[in-house]
Amino acid sequence: MGMQGDFLQLLKEQGYQLGTSVRAGEGQEITRGTTILAMKYRDGVLVAGDRRATAGNMVMYDRTDKVLELDRHSVMAIAGVPATAYEMVRILEHSFKYYRRTQLQELSFEGKLRAVSKLLKENVAAALAGTGAVAPIFAGYDFEQDSAKIFFYDILGAEFEGVEYAVSGSGSPTIRGILHYLNTWSEQPLSALPEEQATIQALRLLTCAAEFDSATGGVNHEANLYPVIKLITEAGVQTIPESRLKPLFEEKVSRHV
Amino acid sequence: MYEEPYRWVEAIENRRQYLDEQFKQGSPVVALSYADGILLLTVSRGTPKLYEIYDRIALGGMGHPADLEKLRFSLLEMAHVEGFNRSPSDVTGMRLVKYGLAPVIKQAFEEIFKAPFIVKVLLAESGVKPGRDAFLTINYDGTFEETADWAVLAATPIIQAEMRAYLKQETGLASGTLGQAIDSAIRTWAVGSMAQNKEQVEENKEETKGSSKAGTTQSASANQDKAALLAHLRETVAEKTIECAVLERTAPGSSKYRTLKPHDLGRLLPKPLQQHA
Repeated sequence: MGMQGDFLQLLKEQGYQLGTSVRAGEGQEITRGTTILAMKYRDGVLVAGDRRATAGNMVMYDRTDKVLELDRHSVMAIAGVPATAYEMVRILEHSFKYYRRTQLQELSFEGKLRAVSKLLKENVAAALAGTGAVAPIFAGYDFEQDSAKIFFYDILGAEFEGVEYAVSGSGSPTIRGILHYLNTWSEQPLSALPEEQATIQALRLLTCAAEFDSATGGVNHEANLYPVIKLITEAGVQTIPESRLKPLFEEKVSRHV
Repeated sequence: MYEEPYRWVEAIENRRQYLDEQFKQGSPVVALSYADGILLLTVSRGTPKLYEIYDRIALGGMGHPADLEKLRFSLLEMAHVEGFNRSPSDVTGMRLVKYGLAPVIKQAFEEIFKAPFIVKVLLAESGVKPGRDAFLTINYDGTFEETADWAVLAATPIIQAEMRAYLKQETGLASGTLGQAIDSAIRTWAVGSMAQNKEQVEENKEETKGSSKAGTTQSASANQDKAALLAHLRETVAEKTIECAVLERTAPGSSKYRTLKPHDLGRLLPKPLQQHA
């Protein structure tokens, strides 16, 4: 019986399997998602992702949403193979709900972290075969400790806490250094920034990533295309609408040289 | 000995009597649509009777907690596996009942060498748009019916009809606020609870005085006056919990179910009951 409230176990009993170790064929380019970042700010955690998905040199899609809400208080940002990542998000979403509804209590923050890690471990074969590598960032509000937290994972499922920030994806090396610099030598650390300042920094960082990483989609002003930015606070997850990103970008990010 | 059809019918009849007996002390359940969603209300002692099943589906139950729990789990399993394999919008109350719950309950009811489920189940499903809400009630023998606007569970079909009649004469429910919905629902609960008590009393009389029944089971329906209902509530609710849950159509996120906390309830209950919550 489902007394333990484990949704993945339930799926497996029905014959479901997450990752298969199918090798990527020669010359077959696999779709990948690119740059995501999460950082603490004054009221919680900000999570942002660019919108591009690429397959080799080709841009597959420029409106990908890589910052996905798992429930009212947690999000997973995905870098890597979207096919696997979206599937994981769907499993997690259902797992958290299933747990809450069967056990009549919310899955703890640690329990949620474990669930992400467990899924990545299930997927190791596919990750190593090259067909399903995902390196996500998980961010959520921990009610036991009254703070929003960031964790990032490698493709094998190891979990690391991003005390101030975390990055993942092909554009991440570019912005990791900048985040370190900003956090250490700015007038105030990232975690002290008010919401608007944090949003501006996120837009600038993703613009930088796009500058140096061809796989990261920057802001496409003409197409009215902005990164996805979500804020996690005690009140829940909230998405910053494009109508707010647009003026911020025009005023504080774009440089007309 | 049950090989003869007559014996089987008799056994089923006994089963009905046995089951009817089990629900006599049960607490009725009321579910109704209001402007922003669906309200479910019951009064419970200890074990909760209202549960979240899926994004837009809630359950209210009467009967044995262990049986209810078993069926709740099977509903949760069905709903979540279906929602994952297909999509959340393919999980509907009707499908859960028709292909999942009802056959199981019916089979248990008719397998006369095994224990039946001592349950009556109500499923409320909030529509994406107002006016699309659906309510399903399943009896202990697996028969079910779908209704719009509201549904109730009570010890007997007659009492259920009385409660429905009471709801029918409440005006403006569908466009009302949550407060109005709670007010109507708690009074409807009282109609059911009073009718159940009355039936108990009459039965006891019958038992003691033989069959001197005067046929005065006057329907306590339509014009129950508010004061009597509230007085009944004050008496009965004292050591129990008023349990309320809502499916809020416009709530953020995919899960629309929320239980009302005592302090929300305190504000929303009719005045004479407020100190209770």
